[in-house]
Amino acid sequence: MNLIKLSDYLWEIPKTGAMRVPGRVYASAKMIEAMREDPALTQVANVACLPGIVGYSLAMPDIHWGYGFPIGGVAAVDAREGVISPGGVGYDINCGVRLARTRLDFSFVEPRIDQLADALFAKIPAGVGSWGAIPGLSIEQLKEVVSQGAHWALRNGYATRRDLEHTEEGGMLAGADPDRISERAYTRGAKQLGTLGSGNHFLEVSRIDEIYDSKLADALGLELGQVTVLIHSGSRGLGHQTCDDYLKVVGGAMARYGINLPDRQLAAVPISSPEGQAYLGAMAGAANFAWCNRQVMMHLAEQAFLDALSIAPRELGFELVYDVCHNIAKFEEHSVNGQMRLVCVHRKGATRAFGPGHPALPDALRPLGQPVLVPGDMGRYSFVLVGLETAMRETFGSSCHGAGRLMSRMKAKKEAGGRDLRAELKALGVTVRAHSRGGIAEEMPHAYKDVAEVVEVMEAARVTRRVARLKPFAVIKG
Amino acid sequence: MPTKPTATQTEDAALFREFEHTGDLGIELEAPTRAELFRRAAIALAALMVETASVAETEQRQVAVEAQADLDLMHDLLTELLALFTVEGFIWRDASVTEAGRSLRVTLRGEPFDPARHAFRGEIKAVTYHQLMVDNSPGGWRSRVIFDV
Repeated sequence: MNLIKLSDYLWEIPKTGAMRVPGRVYASAKMIEAMREDPALTQVANVACLPGIVGYSLAMPDIHWGYGFPIGGVAAVDAREGVISPGGVGYDINCGVRLARTRLDFSFVEPRIDQLADALFAKIPAGVGSWGAIPGLSIEQLKEVVSQGAHWALRNGYATRRDLEHTEEGGMLAGADPDRISERAYTRGAKQLGTLGSGNHFLEVSRIDEIYDSKLADALGLELGQVTVLIHSGSRGLGHQTCDDYLKVVGGAMARYGINLPDRQLAAVPISSPEGQAYLGAMAGAANFAWCNRQVMMHLAEQAFLDALSIAPRELGFELVYDVCHNIAKFEEHSVNGQMRLVCVHRKGATRAFGPGHPALPDALRPLGQPVLVPGDMGRYSFVLVGLETAMRETFGSSCHGAGRLMSRMKAKKEAGGRDLRAELKALGVTVRAHSRGGIAEEMPHAYKDVAEVVEVMEAARVTRRVARLKPFAVIKG
Repeated sequence: MPTKPTATQTEDAALFREFEHTGDLGIELEAPTRAELFRRAAIALAALMVETASVAETEQRQVAVEAQADLDLMHDLLTELLALFTVEGFIWRDASVTEAGRSLRVTLRGEPFDPARHAFRGEIKAVTYHQLMVDNSPGGWRSRVIFDV
C-alpha cells in the first residue's frame, strides 16, 4: 500500500482507481510499519469509494481488519447525495462504553475485591444467551425501548435525569422507527436488556492511577485512587439482527441505484432512498436499545456495589461520567473545504470527540470538550480523554475507540494454551470472573496493542487530550 | 491469509479449519459434495459456539433455506442456524442436509443448550458477507466464512 507521510502521526493513501477521496491514517511510524500489509488499509481505500464521501476516508490508530469497513474507520458522506452503509456501522449498532465514578477510594475496596467481583458477576448476566437481568419484555415494551432509549430506563427506575444528560445524544437518537425492526430482532433482544454479552464486552472496576490534566479531571469529578466502573457493551441480538436484516435489503437494492462497491459487506444505498430511510429508522432504534442496555447494567452494577460493600447509596456516590457510542452513523454539521455541510458520519470502531463549546454537549461538559472513553486490554489500563478543536477540523469530530487487536482470536487462544491466565492476571492485580476460559484467552492483554500508544498518537495529532488513566482490578466477562 | 489447523478443536477437527482474522473469526471448509459442505458448515457453527462433545443428540430441529446462489445459501443457512441457537436455545452436534434445487433442508440433532452442562466457547454475533466464498473445483467443494464475534 502506497502511503505518503504527512506528519509524524498522519499518513495519506493517495486517491487511485475508484476512490473518490484519499484515505488518511492516524498512526506512528512504528504502527504504520506493522500495518503496511494489513488488509485494513485496503479497507480504508475501499471505503473511499462510497458515493457522496467527503474529505477523507479516515482511520484511527487502533485500526484493524474488519469486514467491509476497517474497525477504527470514519467516513462522512453528504447528507443529501451520499449513501448509508449498514456495514459502516457494524453488527453491534451503538456498541459503546460508559464510565461511572464512585466516591470510594481503592483502599476501601481492596480488601473486598472478591465479594465485589462475585456480586457483579451474579447481578449482570454475561456470556452466551445472557438473559434475565430484568423481567422479559413483550414486543410492545421493546418497541418503547427502541423509541425511547435510556428514557425508558428513567421511566422504569433504572436511571436518573442526570444520567441521561451525561449520555451521548441524551441516550436517545432521534428518528427511531420501531416498525422497521424485524420480529426476529425483537425476539433476539427480548431477554437481553441489561446483559453484557461476550467477546470483547466487559465490565471493569478500576482505580484512577494517573491524572494528566488536573483541571479537566476535577471538572469531570475524577481524582487519583478513585474507584470507577467502565461498561463496554452494545445492542445485543436486537442490533446484530437489525444489521443482518438490512445488509440483505441494502445489498439487494444497490444495483437499482447503480452502486458498485469492491466488497459486498460495504453495501450501501442513497440516504434518501426508501431502503436507506428504513435502515436509519431501524438503526436509531437499535442504538436506543443499546443506550438503555448500558443504563440498566449501570443500575445493576450500583446495586452490586451496595450489596457487596454494605454501604449506602450516598456513600457510594455512583454517578455517570459519560457514555459514548463507537459504532454508529449520525447526521452532524462539519466544515468541508471551508463550508459547513450536513454530513452523515459513519463511525465504525471510532468515538465521537467533539471539541469544547460544541452545542451538542450538555451544559456541564461544553466548556471541557466531549469525554472520550478508550478501553485498553484487561491487564493494562483504559483512558479518559476529551475532544479538542482539531477534531472538528480534521476528523469529523472523531477519535480512537480502543487498543485495537494485535493478534487474531485464534492466535491468542493458541498462545494461551496451557497457561493459567486467571492466575497471570491476578498477579497483575486483576481479578477476573468469566463464563468461558476461551473468552479470557481471546482477550488476554497481549492480544491487543498497547492502548497508551494509541491515545498518544491522537494527542500528538491534537485530536484528543488525555485526562486520566484507569487501572482495572476486577473484570467481568462473558 | 495463512491457514493452520486450530489447536482448540475437538473431534470436529477434520471438518473445518479456523483461519487468522485479526478482529473476527474465520473458517475454511472442504467437502467432497455440496450437501456435505453445508453439513460441515452447520456443525462448524455449533462447534465454534459450544464444546459440542458434551451435546447429546436427543432432539431434532429442521431449518429450510432457499436462495439463487450458493453464496447466499451459505450465508442464509448459517444465519438461520445462529437464530436457532440464540433465539430458541437449541445446540446441535450433527446435521444432515437434503438438497432440492435451490433450496436446502437441514436436520439438526442435539438438545436445548444448558450452560450447566455445555461449555460455552464464544458468542457469534453474525455471519458476514466479507470474503464469503463457496466454490466447486475439481478437487471438491470449498467455502470460507467470516463471523462477527
